[in-house]
Amino acid sequence: MNAAVASAPVRPQSPRLSPRVARFLKGALGVGLLLAAWQISVPLVGMSPYFYPAPSDVVVAFGDLIRKGVLPVYIADSMGRYALGVGTGVALGIVAGIAVGLNRKLSLALSPLFKFLFALVEVAWIPIFVVWFGYGIKTIVLALVYVVFFPVLYNTLLAMRTAPQVLANAVRSLGGSGFDVLRYVILPAALPGMITGLRVAAGFAFRGLVFAEIIAAKTGIGYLIFEGTQTQQTSRTIVGMIVMGLLWLAIDQFYLRPFERATVQRWGLTVDAAQRT
Amino acid sequence: MNAGIRPSRVEAIWLGLLPFAAILALWTALPHVTSYPAYKLPPVSAVLQTAKESVLDGSLLTNIGASLARLAIGFVIGMALAVPLGLAIALNRHVADMFRPVLSFLQAIAGIAWVPLTIIWFGIGNGSVIFVIANTIFFATLYNTVLGVETIPLALHRAVRSHGGRGLALITQLVLPGAFMQILLGMRTSVAYGWRALVASEMIAGSNGLGYMTMDAVQWQRVDVIVLGMIVIGLLWMAMDRMLFVPLERRTIMRWGFLQR
Repeated sequence: MNAAVASAPVRPQSPRLSPRVARFLKGALGVGLLLAAWQISVPLVGMSPYFYPAPSDVVVAFGDLIRKGVLPVYIADSMGRYALGVGTGVALGIVAGIAVGLNRKLSLALSPLFKFLFALVEVAWIPIFVVWFGYGIKTIVLALVYVVFFPVLYNTLLAMRTAPQVLANAVRSLGGSGFDVLRYVILPAALPGMITGLRVAAGFAFRGLVFAEIIAAKTGIGYLIFEGTQTQQTSRTIVGMIVMGLLWLAIDQFYLRPFERATVQRWGLTVDAAQRT
Repeated sequence: MNAGIRPSRVEAIWLGLLPFAAILALWTALPHVTSYPAYKLPPVSAVLQTAKESVLDGSLLTNIGASLARLAIGFVIGMALAVPLGLAIALNRHVADMFRPVLSFLQAIAGIAWVPLTIIWFGIGNGSVIFVIANTIFFATLYNTVLGVETIPLALHRAVRSHGGRGLALITQLVLPGAFMQILLGMRTSVAYGWRALVASEMIAGSNGLGYMTMDAVQWQRVDVIVLGMIVIGLLWMAMDRMLFVPLERRTIMRWGFLQR
């Protein structure tokens, strides 16, 4: 037994790579193929870089944006807005969700309104935010708070309803206070809802950020994407799109997934698959 | 019909209407209590008047129709391209491994970020907006299809194989039904992204439609049109979600026991 376990990593076909490394290499090959296809297609398409820039143009634009210090500032601005908006939205959504969810009548009364406001996408609020607050950070952050607030609130509310009454009764009969019920029964039940809400919201908010920056900002990744085409520097637009994609993958990989692992999966609660992106 | 409604449901409806009534009352009373410029928030009567006018002259319906038609066309194009391609990619494990990072990256930037590029490629108007929606639906569906095929339990795969299933039978009996669930589950989310992309791209690159109507009103300082646009956008999405996706989920996914609640 022991010998078999010990020898497991050293398989007979020892030159084979571990599955992780193999998958990474294959993924890298996929990225490489895409880039190669893009580069090869440029002379075939035969359009000016304004219409169809080559990867090499994009690399040059990237170097240029880094050297001038534009890109780091834009990334910092975008991420600052995102963190501020999402953080505020999540905090408000959870607090409001719990406050409303504790009262059944209130929860019944407000659910349809929340549903409507959830359906009223943040994108649709941007014009009136522009009228109210002008172009700038207020409009952007408010749109982000909005887009995060409702999914978190709504999913928290839904999840709180699943808190088993039996457990609440058990805590009560053991002499627990109302706060104990909240702490040990309701909050654990609501947690998957909060995480689901956060996951849905984080994705919407990221696209929302880019859109809001296209409309209402003078810095940031969204602005870079928009400004590139306005000034006939399409390769800058592509740099912006690539940075945007990488940022999202980084947020997903380093913040959302570990967070989910540390909370939901660890406690054996599952997130409703339908709500996931 | 009415006999079927339980008292708690009636209660829920009444309670649910209260906040809307309160907001409406507050909104109506606000101009009498405080003074703020009318270009910031229109009185209720102005929005109703605008709603009436735009319904009567047909412009509201034209805009709704234009938006929904684009969503439908983009959806059909995106799905029609993504499902076969996704299946083709997912059938081979090595190919799937190769494309997964690229796909999750492209999904991350799908949608609104393409608008500036599409304006260059297709100009302002239908082409740009439809491209952006099709692009959003395409990448979300492609990703979901690949994921759907990959999450088919290996045991099922072996079961089909050991009964002699191969080639086309393997696809029709195992891969399609297996991936179908994930595609359906993903559809609601991908259309939700598509809807945002639609409204957003109409605001930047549209020449009509609800997004265009709402954003265009900013420069004319017509807050009544903006508020009307917002209400219509909210109601339309609720109606679509209710009439399309909720029944769809109930009929297919819940019926077959895929979704555990």
